[in-house]
Amino acid sequence: MAYLTLSNISKQFGDTYAVQDFNLDVEKGEFVSFLGPSGCGKTTTLRMIAGFETPTDGAIALGGADITNKPPNQRKMGMIFQSYALFPNMTVAQNIGFGLRVRKDSKADIQERVREMISLVNLEKHAEKYPYQLSGGQQQRVSLARALAIRPDVLLLDEPLSALDAKIRVSLRAQIREIQRKLGITAIFVTHDQEEALSISDRIVVMYDGNVEQVGTPFEIYNFPTTTFVANFVGSLNTAVAEVTDPAKGLLSVNGVQFSSAAKMDGLQKGDNVRIAIRPERFSFASEVRKANVVDCRIENITFLGSVVRVHMLIGNSSFTMDTFNYPSLELPRIGATEQVTCSREAVLLLEEVRANGHEPKL
Amino acid sequence: MTVSAAPTQATVKSETARAPVRKNRFWSWLIFVVGALYFLVPLAATFYWSLRAEKDKFGFEAYRRLFADTNFLPSFSESIVNAIAAILISLLIIVPTAYWVTLRLPKLRPVIEFITLLPFVIPAVVLVFGLIRLYSRPPLLLTATYDSSRILLVCVYAALSFPYMFRAVDNGLRAMDVRTLTEAAQSLGASWPTILFRVIFPNLRVALLSGALLTFAIVIGELTIALFMAQHTLGPYMANLTRSKVYEPSAMAIVAFAITWAAMGIIQLIGRGQQGQIAGGH
Ligand SMILES: Nc1ncnc2c1ncn2[C@@H]1O[C@H](COP(=O)(O)OP(=O)(O)OP(=O)(O)O)[C@@H](O)[C@H]1O
Ligand SMILES: [Mg+2]
Repeated sequence: MAYLTLSNISKQFGDTYAVQDFNLDVEKGEFVSFLGPSGCGKTTTLRMIAGFETPTDGAIALGGADITNKPPNQRKMGMIFQSYALFPNMTVAQNIGFGLRVRKDSKADIQERVREMISLVNLEKHAEKYPYQLSGGQQQRVSLARALAIRPDVLLLDEPLSALDAKIRVSLRAQIREIQRKLGITAIFVTHDQEEALSISDRIVVMYDGNVEQVGTPFEIYNFPTTTFVANFVGSLNTAVAEVTDPAKGLLSVNGVQFSSAAKMDGLQKGDNVRIAIRPERFSFASEVRKANVVDCRIENITFLGSVVRVHMLIGNSSFTMDTFNYPSLELPRIGATEQVTCSREAVLLLEEVRANGHEPKL
Repeated sequence: MTVSAAPTQATVKSETARAPVRKNRFWSWLIFVVGALYFLVPLAATFYWSLRAEKDKFGFEAYRRLFADTNFLPSFSESIVNAIAAILISLLIIVPTAYWVTLRLPKLRPVIEFITLLPFVIPAVVLVFGLIRLYSRPPLLLTATYDSSRILLVCVYAALSFPYMFRAVDNGLRAMDVRTLTEAAQSLGASWPTILFRVIFPNLRVALLSGALLTFAIVIGELTIALFMAQHTLGPYMANLTRSKVYEPSAMAIVAFAITWAAMGIIQLIGRGQQGQIAGGH
């Protein structure tokens, strides 16, 4: 049985659902991210786990015991907020010791634990400072130490890095992950940044509009998205409507250009409309290697993105982009030229079916 | 910046901009001086008068007589005790109320704000007659003895302080992220009283002090209500003094001013210390 279990959780505010029928099992020591755009219900779900909101429906269990209606101050959930939420009237050491003083640990124990936590987050020099004397990154480390000091059952982080600048964000997320691994603590990390989620998580829960879209490892989420939303939200993506021409062989046609896909086409018939997705980095110029799909394209534009070159092209009247590594001997085609590009059958993903009446899939 | 591109234009602009500033400054100084005179002349005159108790001589004789008066110190200390009691009652009502409104019932804020403003709207004379009518007969008979009247008076003073106290506390609460701090404390295991006394109150220090000192300043010399309730506090004592003595009332007025100013000074001092902290943050 999983350590933390959310079963059919829903949360209604008035008559709108912030979260609907949310199911998740989290193993002990696992690092799970909730990923999704603004307003999709990430914070609401996290707050239900913390006990700040009560689910309208469903149950939450921790270590086999139901905690759905347990007040937040009896749950032992370490909470990290985007705004740090340090107590301004207390020093770093006092902040970290707060939870221990509240539960009336002995003075010596508190001192020992606080010292341990301070060195865990490398703030030895700042123990006697007040929060306003620290940088954002330092404040968030204090907040992490404060939450970990009480040895929480689960660590909950609500966009803890969003208020920090890019460099600190990357280094602090690595520190958070390292500490989480070292302590073997179960963690749930909320973010709307796909790169953050992909880089830090054991598993990712992609959410959209109050629903779970897909749960999987970063590898699965990125390489095998199951919905248009996930495919679009995680990484950049080419999508196009295609007509099934031979379901048994996996053949499709995008405005007359034939593609072959490794995706299962059970239940699809010749003439059905589907949506295909191809990641830009799965394309390459056919002059180098030739894979299963070789198609003609017209080069529309080329942009340099440092280590990557992004080629915008038209394939059978649909716009596609291709990302290729930048290296000094790379020969780029002229804009307006006709070239051949190639991709494997596995690169052609099949998203959901487009309805016969012409409705686009959501998004 | 385009300053280097058009240096002449820039200088012209800044000169034309400076002239009205100078003019403005003249008017603001004038207004300040007139205002200061309006305020300081009577004060200076009162002070001058308070020093003239002995014939042909400046001295503090009026102050000596004032403090020697057997009625002065008892009424003074009674007022101080009343003020402190009113402050405590006011704090214990207003802080949890304002906290809860901020945290859970933000929609109710206008209503609460209106209620706390009522003491401003209702004249003291009207208030006191209402109170006497309500509390001078059973089941709420409170005006029967001196001590029960005094309890009533303190409660009324607490109510009078609501506009100041609520505003001060509300400002203090707005300056911090009440909800997140509360939740952070909760997730660390803190109960409601712990949150209130270890997190909210300490961070409201300045707000609470300014609310308390403003309350003190109002209550210490209050006349109308104390008079109608036949209380021997500083207000009625001063009124009586004015009728019977010549120099002592002036001395009394200066003492009252000094107390009020000391209260304001303390607010300023503490406020400044705190401001440094807030300005340094984030
Ligand atoms: N207390 C509340 N009352 C009413 N509606 C709410 C409340 N809290 C959240 N909602 C609504 O629930 C939905 C989900 O909100 P939530 O804060 O969980 O989103 P989120 O995924 O955390 O978004 P963000 O990335 O912007 O933080 C939103 O539409 C929001 O407006
Ligand atoms: Mg959120």
